[in-house]
Amino acid sequence: MPEKTVAVASRSGLHARPAKIFVEAAARQAAPVRIRVGGGKAVPANSMLGVLTLGAGHGTEVTLEAEGPGAEEALAALADLLSRDLDAEGAEGAA
Amino acid sequence: MADRAGTAPLPLDPRAVRTAATAGDVEDAVRQCGAVLQEVGAVDGSYTDAMLERERSISTYVGEGVAIPHGTLTSKEAVRHDAVCVLRFPDGVDWHGERVTVCVGIAARGDGHLRLLSELAQILLDPDRAAALRAATEVDEVIQLLQPDGEEDSE
Repeated sequence: MPEKTVAVASRSGLHARPAKIFVEAAARQAAPVRIRVGGGKAVPANSMLGVLTLGAGHGTEVTLEAEGPGAEEALAALADLLSRDLDAEGAEGAA
Repeated sequence: MADRAGTAPLPLDPRAVRTAATAGDVEDAVRQCGAVLQEVGAVDGSYTDAMLERERSISTYVGEGVAIPHGTLTSKEAVRHDAVCVLRFPDGVDWHGERVTVCVGIAARGDGHLRLLSELAQILLDPDRAAALRAATEVDEVIQLLQPDGEEDSE
């Protein structure tokens, strides 16, 4: 199954705003995507609770996996999101 | 199951559980969470403002009728020790269009919140446990349901 591993770039890790942006983007993909940390259990990338169970902090390497039509595009789009600091991008006026 | 992020219990003081709270709106509910965390000595007064700021920036609704209000990155100094509080709103609170019946307020230093969120999410992913939490009317029940290994039997 196609996979892509990327380190979480968001300062606060994969929760709150970064997690929400990620989960919503995952839901828009044509192919279902799952996400895991190392050899751990993969969870659906479009589930907020699932993503929160990962406990992925800043710098944690996560692996995305997807199968079927649109899988490569989905992996590329979501890996790109994870490699950006989504806290910085969305934080209006937060010092 | 071998690879759970952690199995330490959530830092939940029985005094930080309210099984029959009422709130008019999201802000009211978040303020109550902040007040309870302050009452048990986990945070100082400025943490509530940070929780409200977080909530305005993005909803902390996570699914299963549960919201998890917590502060922002810049509010970590307001946290004295890691803690969670549980406020149950039997009448529900309109949470930006979602109905919330349980708020789990979270205060953590450093990256501690990630572990707390992970523990909590693992519990809520079990629909039976989430339902039991929404229905729990006793403090002991809430505490039992939020134990990482509380799967023994919760009815």
